[in-house]
Amino acid sequence: MTPAEEPILDLRKFSKTFGEVQALDGVELTVQPGEFVTVVGPSGCGKSTLFNIVAGLEEPDAGSVMRFEGQSVHAKQLLGKVSFMPQRDLLLAWRNVIDNAILPLEIEGANRAEARAEAQRMLPEFGLAGFADKYPHELSGGMRQRVALMRTFMFKRDLMLLDEPFGALDALTRTMMQRWLLEVWQKHKRTVLFITHDVDEAIFLGDKVLVMTARPGAIKLERKVDLPRPRSADLVTAPEFISLKRELLDAIEEESMKTFGPSSH
Amino acid sequence: MTVQANMAGASPVARRFGAVLPLLKGVAALAAVLLAVELIVILFGIRPYVLPRPSAVIEAILRTPAAYRDAIIRTGLETLMGFGAGALFGIWIGIAFSRLRFLRETVFPIFIVSQTIPVIAFGALVVMWFGNTILAKAVIVFYLTFFPVTVNALLGMRAVDEKQVQLLRSFGASEREIMRKLRFPTALPHIFVALRIASALGLAGAVVGEWFGDTTGLGVLLLQGMYAENMVAIWASILCSAVLGVAFFSAIGLAEKRIVFWGGEST
Repeated sequence: MTPAEEPILDLRKFSKTFGEVQALDGVELTVQPGEFVTVVGPSGCGKSTLFNIVAGLEEPDAGSVMRFEGQSVHAKQLLGKVSFMPQRDLLLAWRNVIDNAILPLEIEGANRAEARAEAQRMLPEFGLAGFADKYPHELSGGMRQRVALMRTFMFKRDLMLLDEPFGALDALTRTMMQRWLLEVWQKHKRTVLFITHDVDEAIFLGDKVLVMTARPGAIKLERKVDLPRPRSADLVTAPEFISLKRELLDAIEEESMKTFGPSSH
Repeated sequence: MTVQANMAGASPVARRFGAVLPLLKGVAALAAVLLAVELIVILFGIRPYVLPRPSAVIEAILRTPAAYRDAIIRTGLETLMGFGAGALFGIWIGIAFSRLRFLRETVFPIFIVSQTIPVIAFGALVVMWFGNTILAKAVIVFYLTFFPVTVNALLGMRAVDEKQVQLLRSFGASEREIMRKLRFPTALPHIFVALRIASALGLAGAVVGEWFGDTTGLGVLLLQGMYAENMVAIWASILCSAVLGVAFFSAIGLAEKRIVFWGGEST
């Protein structure tokens, strides 16, 4: 990641207001190609709003600057340009694993048989071998989430937005999924913007961790994670990890107090 | 559409049995009721012109099977025609209402008003327009069936998870694709609830429709029985109507099981 390289996503003075409520206020954010950027922040800080805009679902306030692959863009233009994975898996109940995974390709107008064959090949990598014909109601939460991830990966876009994809999973499944996600990410060489409220997860996965302020959301802190890859599970007890975690937790704590603390404004 | 039956695991025999099971249950329940009535009539010595024995009723049917068979076919056909048209129209207009707010706000109230017209009054009108044809009855059935289907189709379209809509939009899907791949399948369970209601309503509509004048049909047999004060004939027609109704209802239940195999939960 040389500094000379053009960022894939570049947000400046990025704000969003819903009626009376200001969700985002002056977010500054750059994501380099191939980078894994994690975003943590207190609940209700506007993380999901940020994602909805980058996914093209909502327009930011006037005056916000958004550049995508070097071009200045409206949010609307990003529809179909980034692969977006919301918090819930949102699988379609009437489609089996394969057909759920190829949904974005179908919408793109790809040949369905080819898309199915491709999905079929990807199944083992996503721990879904032998589950091609299963329907969502027959799968566990972790599996459903992997189907949703596979759907996101099949939508081959350079930028992937993952909104707390492991939030609803139990702790053990979650760590397994994190390690697995890193493997898949390294293999597929995508750029990832990843929301979480779990600091461990943010450090473990990210090249760079951003801490957001309480609402209205802005970037409070940005830290490079200079930990070697591939990362293993025992990394979480390394001194560098701990000291970074302490710094991030302090920042989040401070922001959370603004939301819950008595009249600290 | 990739809606398909999820019965890959079941053996063919089990599958076939599973398919006719609801029908068998319906027939068994009907038989049980008939048997109970038979016993009550005999036990309490109820006179035939109050309530005939079911065995006598069945005997009457078997004595002139052709008349009853023709009546069932005729009334069944009327119901099927009207119901099919009503279901298709209801789904179509439900989709249109969900898409076009203007249409929903202008035409939907008219639909509601139309449903306050008693079917008898409407029947008289239809006979004036279409004469004593099979079409007249089908139109009455249509009138009774399209409304519940419209209401539920609209309800189903709007029951869709907005997050799923956003996901599809983020993939670059058009409104049309969202309708086809998301809203319509989401609405299907609701639509089937309406179809089940409409099947019973529709049969009633066909029978009543025949009262306005016709020569064959279950409604005609009912009317003839009434004029002749023939209790057995009246009950024979009622029994045939019941059989037809159960058959319709089961057929829809069967289709529902096959098409809405995921049980109607959206997630």
